[in-house]
Amino acid sequence: MLDTVQAVRRPPGRTSSGPARPARRRPRLGPYLLILPALVTIAVLLIWPVVQIARMSFQKVGLRQLRGEPAENVGLDNYRQILGDDEFWTALRHTLLFAVVAVAATLVVGTLVGLLLNRLGRRMSAFVAGGVLVAWATPPVTAAVIFAWLFGTTGGLVGWFLDLLPDWLVGGGWQNYNWFSSPLPDYTVLTICVVWMSFPFVAVSVLAGLRTVPGELYEAARVDGSSAWNTFWKITFPLLRPVFGVLLTMSVIWDFRVFTQLFVLSGLANSDSFNLSLYGYSEAFGSLNAKYGLGSAIAMVLTVLVLIVTAFYTRMIVRQEGVR
Amino acid sequence: MRYTRAAAAAVALAVAVTGCGGKKKADDNAKGADPAKIVVWQMGDGSPEQTKFLDGVAAEFHQKHPKTAVQVQYIPWPQATQKFQTAIAGGSGPDVTEVGNTDVQSWAEQGAFADITGKMNSWAEGKTLSKGALANDQLDGKIYAAPWYGGVRAVWYHKDWFTKLGIQPPKTWADLVTAAKTIQDKKHVPGIAAPSDFTNGILSFVWANGGDVATKQGDKWVGTLEQPQAKEAVEFYAGLVTKDKVAPDKYVGKNELQGPQQDFALGKVGMYMDGSWALPQLEKIKKDQKNWGVFPIPGKTGGLAPVFSGGSDLAVWKDSKYKDVAFDYLTTLDSKKNSKAFADTLKFLPQFTDILQSGAYQSDPIMGPFAQAAASGVKFTPTSKGWADYEGAKKVLPNAVKAIMQGKSADDELKKADEQAGTLLNQ
Repeated sequence: MLDTVQAVRRPPGRTSSGPARPARRRPRLGPYLLILPALVTIAVLLIWPVVQIARMSFQKVGLRQLRGEPAENVGLDNYRQILGDDEFWTALRHTLLFAVVAVAATLVVGTLVGLLLNRLGRRMSAFVAGGVLVAWATPPVTAAVIFAWLFGTTGGLVGWFLDLLPDWLVGGGWQNYNWFSSPLPDYTVLTICVVWMSFPFVAVSVLAGLRTVPGELYEAARVDGSSAWNTFWKITFPLLRPVFGVLLTMSVIWDFRVFTQLFVLSGLANSDSFNLSLYGYSEAFGSLNAKYGLGSAIAMVLTVLVLIVTAFYTRMIVRQEGVR
Repeated sequence: MRYTRAAAAAVALAVAVTGCGGKKKADDNAKGADPAKIVVWQMGDGSPEQTKFLDGVAAEFHQKHPKTAVQVQYIPWPQATQKFQTAIAGGSGPDVTEVGNTDVQSWAEQGAFADITGKMNSWAEGKTLSKGALANDQLDGKIYAAPWYGGVRAVWYHKDWFTKLGIQPPKTWADLVTAAKTIQDKKHVPGIAAPSDFTNGILSFVWANGGDVATKQGDKWVGTLEQPQAKEAVEFYAGLVTKDKVAPDKYVGKNELQGPQQDFALGKVGMYMDGSWALPQLEKIKKDQKNWGVFPIPGKTGGLAPVFSGGSDLAVWKDSKYKDVAFDYLTTLDSKKNSKAFADTLKFLPQFTDILQSGAYQSDPIMGPFAQAAASGVKFTPTSKGWADYEGAKKVLPNAVKAIMQGKSADDELKKADEQAGTLLNQ
């Protein structure tokens, strides 16, 4: 590893660099020492727990085991139990569908707002950016409680507003409409809530990207009479491709593991609306008889899923970078 | 930002894990002598009334153990499970704790509580504790907790509406539907709230009809919701939404606190089912106590439904080093005088059969019907450790009832529920 670094760093033309050589041959510990604290922190706080979860997913672990009783190895039983459970497949379907819809919506809304911010004057831009960032800074629990109230049945603002609209447009009886009792309306609210919370990050990142694009390109496009649509796809998008790649990956990761909002909105009483996180939680912690092994197995499935998706996109980005 | 948050959470987790890793060292030299303090866990937020009451109990306890301080720690109900789990795993529990009566079986099975069979048998005042409640505290013939206070659910109604519309408190299921329909027609609000996440309430209807959720056959639990009596009761309850249309579907997938309680207090629903303990909360929403009344959940053709008794018990923690002193505190807290005083402040009922039957509650318009219901017979859910999974993790009955309310076939849903009972209750 160290040798490769040296070989790469040595400029090809200069074969004899004389007195500098002995110094170069010493392993350079400096950089590794510098990243050591970060590595140790990650290893202790992230890698170790993941290893533990992987191990526990093959065991039967309850409270008695946490007290020191040896855990019984059950092989693939936990996984078998999950894969044979209808609730798992429903939860998996919900997780995937939700991720697709929410990620797409987040990126579209975020990009549009980012473009808007770029067009606004300095003050207005700061004002709007500040405004949307409040949504991003809102803790998920708070946001979820607010949305639960907005869509609630007694005094819910959304039901009240929909009832004000003419009946031929939206129908009536919205005040008493139960948004959280079946998956489709439930996930509609969840999507709005999650998109509302995560688009500001996309908007601001896109704005930051846009600021690096040279103004002459847009000027040239304008002179050539290019439409806004064309300008975006021919100039902005190709130049900001790396930014979009990162945003896409991160959104996928975030939306795959949404938990808090769904937990608050429909909760454990509506198992037909579970996603994988909530399903795992209910299995592991939902009752007093903690089942950490089973919960770990579900967590592993979720982790592997997210890893596959991210690996796929990361590879795509890296390839495109290489081609350019 | 998200990473920072995640990192902060991870650090907190790590601290929690290491923090509870160190087991208490047993200092045996303290044996026999009174300890300097004992720790008591109480559920809830610690209202001023509760604090004042517990100070009084501590003073009484000091007459017997003058050197022992009582440190009370309040644990909000929603955090109780997690707190118990951490304490069991890390050995950092209290000496005496309050525990929800539905949870006793699971915690005892997981080794949280000390076996107090001998101590209970030699506690004179404890002889008249409700037998049904005490049975719920036993596992394999040993006693792990003492019943403290309890309460039953009944139907709350608007007395002024009933008077104006000429309705009598319903005594049968048919009456209940008629009353709800009348309210709906005349008052233009839903007649009754029938939430689906309401196992303990729904069970009252099942029990009233002679059915049960599961019975023990030999040493195995068998789900019995598919039996005709239970099925009829579940269909009646779900039918309040689908067939009779006297309950709105806005409470489907919710519990009695996620809408019904508030709507009842605000006069947006005619009747709803809850315990006597709801009164303080209802009063917080609207001061209208004089217009509220209560009647016991009716049986199908009359009589009273055997009701589920919710409430709290007291247990001595297994890791406590001072179990004798702890039990002395327990009996002080659970004496007839103190348990009645405390139950009265919380709008619950004490667990002593002789007090319940003494007529102390008869003249009380709110507590009277509750005491009447409690005296007519309380039942408990299956005393299996797996009940926590059936009700907590899987919410089997709520999900079945929800599906039926949304038009699924009762036969299929209850069959599925019974299959789940077979797996979950026998683990």
